[in-house]
Amino acid sequence: MYLKFWGASLIILAAYFFGHNISSMYRNRVCQLEELLLGLEMFLTEITYGLTPLPQAFINIGKKLKDPVGRLFSDTAWIMQKSRGLSARECWKKALKNNSGALEFFGGGLELLDRLGFIWGKGDKSGQLRQIALMQELLRQAHREAQQDYQKNEKMWKYLGLLGGLTLVIFLI
Amino acid sequence: MRDAAYNIKKQIGHFLAPKVRLIIENLPDELLEKTEEIRLRHSRPLIIFWAGGESYLSEKGPVPTPREAYLTDGEDLEKTLDLLSNYSLYAYEEELRQGYLTIPGGHRVGLAGRAVLEGGRIKVLRDISSLNFRVARQVKGVGEKVLAFIFDRRMGRIMHSLIISPPQGGKTTLLRDLARLISEGTGILGQAGKKVGIVDERSEIAGCYQGIPQLDVGFRTDVLDACPKAEGVMLMLRSLSPQVIITDEIGRGEDVNAIEEAIHAGVSVIASAHGSSLEEICQRPILGGLLLKNYFERLIFLSNSRGPGTLEMIIEGERGLPLYSSRQGGE
Repeated sequence: MYLKFWGASLIILAAYFFGHNISSMYRNRVCQLEELLLGLEMFLTEITYGLTPLPQAFINIGKKLKDPVGRLFSDTAWIMQKSRGLSARECWKKALKNNSGALEFFGGGLELLDRLGFIWGKGDKSGQLRQIALMQELLRQAHREAQQDYQKNEKMWKYLGLLGGLTLVIFLI
Repeated sequence: MRDAAYNIKKQIGHFLAPKVRLIIENLPDELLEKTEEIRLRHSRPLIIFWAGGESYLSEKGPVPTPREAYLTDGEDLEKTLDLLSNYSLYAYEEELRQGYLTIPGGHRVGLAGRAVLEGGRIKVLRDISSLNFRVARQVKGVGEKVLAFIFDRRMGRIMHSLIISPPQGGKTTLLRDLARLISEGTGILGQAGKKVGIVDERSEIAGCYQGIPQLDVGFRTDVLDACPKAEGVMLMLRSLSPQVIITDEIGRGEDVNAIEEAIHAGVSVIASAHGSSLEEICQRPILGGLLLKNYFERLIFLSNSRGPGTLEMIIEGERGLPLYSSRQGGE
């Protein structure tokens, strides 16, 4: 009897955490998009008031943002300084690959992250400011969609996990 | 390894895209030693130039025809620009407007692309499609002969001098060496050096990188880098108390006014101008006017006839008496 009780509890717990994990993916995506938007805002400040070189600007931004978005900026700066001969796009792409496990930019967000690589450090100041403003607009749109997805799916996945576990236990008993 | 070859491989190579860098690094030192320019053009052969010749380059080294040469692509240009600007073209707006930037070692990189205009003037260059690495070379000692003619031993001062030559005639090299010699003091001066101020509008004389001279212009020399000549000369006069002001390629009205100010303030001026003969210079409205006022005590003519920097003639400014002629070989 005890064995059955502990087994059922384990199944319900595992199913609950499975659902919880999926729902937290939606929450993380919203948080990470917010961090990225904040990073772009910081970058605008760095180039508007300081004309800070890109690697230094990325180090500064990386220190202020939460991981994994902060680490994405820091890693890009590190790659730029260590791997002579890579373009800014290639450095960003490499850092993205290194941090892909922790980033929750599924859907349109991932494509936007990739597109960011094409604009870093390209063109004169006014061109760069325009490109960043456009990316901010696209990211805000992605953030709105991510928030809607989060509100829609968060509770559903938590309940689905719990109820799925319970259903499985009933079937097994 | 010789100096120029080493500089090209280490200083310029550092900023080249990996494929191009490899090609340059594999070239024989003898070829690099005489190289003056490395040209990267979008979808065009990679070429190096030297005085009187050029070489098409491929992965295997110099090749006889452009067809066999390595074609520089957009990726090479993108990577080279990223390296030149430290991934930050936005921080080089002034350089993009001027069409060049300077790298450590004083080497200059000329840029060509699509010009964006504002009010009829170039605001910035976009879509860069050509890069020209010009190798900076310091030829120490070229000014010694000229210094003997422009130093007034009796008064212990440098005479106001104008160096005249066609483009690539060695004006800047001579100005740089004169700055070094006057600043450090030489046997000919017979005394300690003088305080020299260089107004280096195009970063050519001192080859400054981030404000620091990359070429030897003497230890009593202050350099105003990338500063318009007229403003720079006035700034020098106000705050740096130079005994000699050196600047290049004068020609605009405001440059001439500033030089007049310096001369009246008792500061010796050494300047350069494009031209091939005294008659040609005299016909130019602004420069001709300055010459008519007899401010310059020495006019120094250079040419390319026996290589860049050939000293053709030195004449006394006021009376036009020849003091030196390459045909006679002396005073």
